[in-house]
Formats: sequence, C-alpha cells, structure tokens
Amino acid sequence: MNKQSSVVPAFLTPSTMLRLAIVGVFDAALMWLILQLLGDGNYPLAGILAVVILIISFCFSLDQFKPYRWLGLSLAFTTLFVLYPILYTFYLSTTNAGYGHILTKQEAVDFLERQQYVPESGQQYKWTAYRSLEAQDDYVLWLQAEDGTTYLTGLNTATKPAGLDQEGVGPADDKGIPTTIQGYQRLEKRDTVAMIDQLGELAFGVSPDVIRITSLSVAATTQQRYTYDDKNDTLTDHETGLVYHPKEGVFVTEAGQELPPGFRVGVGTDNFNRFFSSAALRGPLFRIISWNFAYAILSVMCSFALGLFIAVLFDSLPGKEIIRALLIIPYPIPALVSILIWRNLLNPDFGALVKLQESLFGTAPHWLTDPTWTRIAIIIINMWLSYPYFYIVSSGALQAIPTDMLDAASVDGANAWQRFSHIILPLLLKIVSPLLVASFAFNFNNFNLIYIFNQGNPPIAGSPIPAGHTDILISFVYRLAFNSAQSDYGLGASISIVLFLFVAAITWGQFRYTRVLEDQTA
Amino acid sequence: MTDVQSHPTKLSSTAFKGPNFSLNYQQRRWLGYIIRYIIAAILIVFAFVPVVWVVSASFNQAGSLVSVEVIPKHAGIANYRGLFENKYYPFLTWLRNSFIVAGTSTLLSVTSTAVSAYGLSRFRFFGRKTLMRAILVISIFPAALSIIAIYTTLQQFGDHVGILGLNSHVSLILIYASGALSINVFLVKGYMDSIPLEIEESALVDGATHAQIFRMITLPLAKPILITISVLTFMAIYGDFVLPRVLMQSSDKFTVMVGLYLFQSADYAQNWGVFTAGAVIAALPILGIYMLLQRYIIGGLTAGAVKL
Repeated sequence: MNKQSSVVPAFLTPSTMLRLAIVGVFDAALMWLILQLLGDGNYPLAGILAVVILIISFCFSLDQFKPYRWLGLSLAFTTLFVLYPILYTFYLSTTNAGYGHILTKQEAVDFLERQQYVPESGQQYKWTAYRSLEAQDDYVLWLQAEDGTTYLTGLNTATKPAGLDQEGVGPADDKGIPTTIQGYQRLEKRDTVAMIDQLGELAFGVSPDVIRITSLSVAATTQQRYTYDDKNDTLTDHETGLVYHPKEGVFVTEAGQELPPGFRVGVGTDNFNRFFSSAALRGPLFRIISWNFAYAILSVMCSFALGLFIAVLFDSLPGKEIIRALLIIPYPIPALVSILIWRNLLNPDFGALVKLQESLFGTAPHWLTDPTWTRIAIIIINMWLSYPYFYIVSSGALQAIPTDMLDAASVDGANAWQRFSHIILPLLLKIVSPLLVASFAFNFNNFNLIYIFNQGNPPIAGSPIPAGHTDILISFVYRLAFNSAQSDYGLGASISIVLFLFVAAITWGQFRYTRVLEDQTA
Repeated sequence: MTDVQSHPTKLSSTAFKGPNFSLNYQQRRWLGYIIRYIIAAILIVFAFVPVVWVVSASFNQAGSLVSVEVIPKHAGIANYRGLFENKYYPFLTWLRNSFIVAGTSTLLSVTSTAVSAYGLSRFRFFGRKTLMRAILVISIFPAALSIIAIYTTLQQFGDHVGILGLNSHVSLILIYASGALSINVFLVKGYMDSIPLEIEESALVDGATHAQIFRMITLPLAKPILITISVLTFMAIYGDFVLPRVLMQSSDKFTVMVGLYLFQSADYAQNWGVFTAGAVIAALPILGIYMLLQRYIIGGLTAGAVKL
C-alpha cells in the first residue's frame, strides 16, 4: 500500500519487524506460562493459552489477515477472561471441585511428595543457623549430635564432621557453639524464632541423607514420606507402609482411611442430579427458585409501572423538566450505596424509617428478619433503584408515538384513560418489551441487591446447605462457593450453568422475536 | 378541541344544576395540574428520603444512631474528618483504587470496543457473521455466574505470575477490559455504519492507511456514542461490587464499594457516622459525571431502547 513496500519486501520494513518482535515476545511469555501450567497438570488453562497464542500469531503476523488485526487483541482477551471462565464453569460443574478438592491430582501428588518424615534410623542433632553475608537465602547449619560430635552442613553440600579448630570456624561461645563461620553470620535466637517456617522449608546436605529442621532445637535426617507410583496409580507411605489408591478425588487405603488433601475428579452429572433430585435440597431449592421468579417478575413490573406512570402523568405538565431532574436522582447513585442506605433506614434498632413507623403506628414490620417483609422491602428498594431507568426509556418511547393517532382518538370522543389503554400502552409495550425482557433477565441474576441488602437472610431453618428466605439462585451459588464452611464449587457451577441456559433461552427468544440477530450482525 | 369539549359540558350543566359538580374546562385543567403536582411531590419525597437522610446524617456530629432530625442540631464535618483520618480503613486508598481500576478499564475497554467496531463495520472477512453472533451469545452470560471459574483461574495464574493472580489490580482491570466485546460493540458499529463512507474512500485514494483514517476521521465522528459508552462503562465498573469483593483480598487493594460494604459489616456504632460520610463521598463523583454528561447518558439509554 505505501511506497516502501514496492521497493523493500514487506517483511523487512521496521514496523513489520517491530510488530513481529512484539508478537514473538508475547508468545514466548505465554509459552513459558503454558509450560508452568502443564507442570501443575492444569491442562484446560494451558490449552486456552495455546488458543490465545494462535489467535495473536494468526492475526498479527501475516499481511493477508490484516482485517483480523482490528479484532485480534479483543478476541484474545475475551477468549481468556470471558470465554474460558464460561467453559471452565461447564467443566467445574462436572467435577467434585470444592472444599478439600481444590487441587489437580498432579498438584496433590506434588504436595504429598514434598512431605518428609524422620525414619527410625534417622540421626537427630541440635542446630544453630548462620546466614550468608552475601546471599539472603543461603544458610549453613552447625550440628551437634547426641554423642557430642559436631558437623557442618549447607544447602546442597554434603554434611561433614567439623571441629572448632577448623579453618574458618570462629571462636566458640560458652556452649561450645562457634560465634562466626567464615562468610556467614550467626542468627540470633529471636531471628531464628521469626524465621522458623522459612528455615523448615530448606533441605540441607545431599540426598539421601537430607537434614531438615524439625523444631526450634532439633534437626534430623529425614526422608520423603510418600512416593507416587505412576504405573499402578498408587501412593505409598514409607513411614507406615500403607498403600493408598485414588478414589473419588482423595487417596484412601484399603481400610478406607483418607489422606488429605483431596483433588478434583470428574463426577459426570452428579451435581446436576443433586440439583434436580436431591430430597434434602428440594425444599430450600424450591423456595429459592419460586422466590427468584417472583422477585424478578415483580421487580420489573413494579418498576416499569411506576416509571411509565410518571412519564405519562407528567408528560404535559408545566415545569416537568424540574420534576424530571428531581425524580431521576436514584439513577446516578451507585446501587451499592443506595442499597446500604436503605438497609440502614430499615434497621430494626435505629433505622430512621422504622422509628418513624413506630411513632406513627406504634409498631413497625421486621424488615430484616421477617421473610415476607424482607421480600417486600427488596421489591420496594428495587423499584426505587430502577424506576428512573424506565421513566427515561418510557418518555423516550412516548415521543415515538405519533400524535395524530391520539388527536384522532380525541376527536372520536376517547377519554384520557381510553387513549392510554388503547393506543399509548400497546404501542409503548411493543417498543419497550425487549427492555422488559432484558430487565427480567438482569434481575433474575441481580446478586448485588440480594446480597448487599440482607445477604439472602433471614435463614431457612433446617436446610442441609445454608440458604435464606430471600436468596435467589445466584446468591445461593455465592454462598455455596465462598460463604459456607464447606465450599462446593461443583454444585455452584452446575447451578450457574442452569441459570445461564435459562437466561440464554430467554435472550435468544427475544433476539429472534426482535430480529436483533439479523439487524445487528448485518 | 375546545369546541368538541365544551359542547357536552354545556349539555351536562343543563342536566345537573349543581354548580359544584360541574367544572368548566379551565377549572378541570387546573384541578388536574394540582392533583399531578401533589403526586409529583409525594414521589419526590419517596425519591429523596434516602438521599436527604444520608446527607443529613453525615453532617450530624451528635453521634447518636437514632437521630431522625432532618437538620442536625450539632452540624459539622467531624464525620468527614473521621473518614479521612481513620487508621483502620484507608478510605482515600480505596477511592484512588476505584478511580485507577474504573478509569484504566474504561479506557482500555472503550478503545478496544472502538477498534473492534471499526473492523466489523469496515471490513468483510471470512467468519465475520459467525463472530458477531458468538459475541452476542457470549455477552449474555452474566459475569457473576462465572465468578467461581474466574476466581480459580486467577488462583492458578497467581501461582506462577503474581500480577495476574488474586489480589491484583492488573487482573481486575484485564477482566473488566475483556468484557469489551459486548453489546457495546454493536452500538458503536451501528453508529459507524451510519457514517457516510465517501470521506474515508477519498482519504484512501489519497494514500491514507486504515489506521490513519480510523484515528483522524472515524474516531472523531463517532465521539458522541463513544462518550456515552465511556460514561456508562465507568459508572458500571465504579459501582461494581462482586468482582472486587471476591478477587481482592487485602484492605489496601479494595475499591471504595467493597470498603463501604466493610464499614457496614463491621461494628455499627463505631463506623456509623463515618459510613454516611463515605457514602456521600463515594456517590459524588458519579453524580458529578452524570450532571455533566446527562445528555449523552439519557440519549444513549433512549437510543438503546428504540434500536434494540
């Protein structure tokens, strides 16, 4: 396209080289990360990163794919942070991931293989640590065996007998421990205490006689406690001689003894079966789902009704600009701030509205603890939060209704109500119905309101998994994953999938109905 | 209109003689106004109760929780001072975090939305239609639903690259910015489709590259829609709660929304006044942006209503 390209081959221009260099660096960095993840046995994430590399390289290296460059970066990041979490949610829904089953099997094996034990033949020592003057993480140990012989050992250096008269070993203190070792500085007692966890991680000496610090005063020859046998898929405990087999995401002995940590394994459709047919979950889940629907439908209907009412009522009123500016006030306030304020207004101990109700009626509803009143409060708050949106939208749509139709109706003797119910409402509904559907879908998963207002409480008594009377499915998922003592990612993910399919079906139907697909993707 | 209306009125006034029951057109109109103004007043009270109450409480120095006075007797700024001098809750840090995260994410997101929309609007390439349908389907999936997957993904990244892990603003920003390929792309693409191609074509003839055309012609022309989506995106990210709540783990990384929530869950009596001051401060930037750019926001909302 530019003049240069006819003289110099395209791949030699500085900008092309710079571009290829950036792509190369990016790909190399991702390759490194992929290798790390493969080491963890984390194949899904490694796989998606490979897809990201493909997208980037495809879009930015060859000249004939130029149009794709406009989308390349967005596509790569959408793949990684939007598409992958969706796919991963599908994957999680078929696993037992959750409390005690967080790691991959490879990570669990790695963790277990790092465990050490002190064999019966193991030698025990009293130890003193010295830190290198040059490197922060280099140490040597001065060891005193029970028979009084002393040794010197370091990281990855063999343990050797050592004496106070040896070269480089400084003068001894009153306990017979050298105060200095050449190149190293002795750790004070209080430093030792502070660093005991770090020191415990270090392996001194060389294999198989590895010496580890096992307590504040004792170091000992230790050995690897568990070894994993790839071929037979078994884990052997060298201390007890027990052999473990993996079963349902955890290593167990023949006798049924389990060895934590567990790892995640596929459980097929178990999570979905639990969701749809577990007898214990049925009661709470039925309540949650029916409230979920009632909440979403009522929220949309009430908010829309109020917004439309305002739009129609004040449409021709003098001074409507001021009224409009004042009535829109809830819209620009961040929802979280509004919800928290409402929560305080309705607080049973000091909420201003509760006090007002008490002084007016002598009593006030239990807004935060009575299931029915909490639900009413949520609907009212949601109305407050979202009527301005419907007000704005409805007034916009009202402008689109041809006035000659209304004039004609007036001439024919239709009164205001008839004009509204026979002309304005049907036309308006046609315009805003996609928004109503979208708003329903949004409210169906409106986690913020439920969680911030009352965290889904008051609790449902007797539920096997903690659940509340105002919980909707998405806030229940949150409880399952992050709030309960025994998190259950698998069940949570499978509920997410059901929710997604539901919302997708609604939205898809709406797209078909309004032909958005055809229009927007033209 | 007056003729049509006055005729039946005359008839009715001859039918019932009582002057109190029949109002003439002028009177009926005024009565209608009065009723509507009363309804407006009631609604404005409903809209303003939480606002007035939180502002009044934030200036109330009495420290009493049960205060219901609209104008506090001991007005002052002690709560605001307490907010900024609080040792345990670094409110200014939270506010700064919110601006950094929301600002950077919005910038990245709107840039990539504009670039992608230009690509979809101006080029015809293999897989374009499929891609657009895929974007529509993906953007249906609410981020809150994949929160578990996002959490575990970041956990796994974090084991190797800390900056992409949990408790990092970088990963939070990347997640927000990655949401760019959403319904917004279609708004911007639709807008760009409506920009006449003649100018760009003559620029192409004069030897301009597509990058130059995008920067110097299309971007300035698409400014109104870009401002609209910037404002809406910024407001959405600034007000978001779930993602930072789950992904940020230490107090110095929280955003102001998570922080305000913490004020609430912590000891009521102590944080009471401080919370109200924090709520006012946290809402002010968005209110300010809204007042300045109201035109674009309302325009965007109604356009979305009529178009989608």
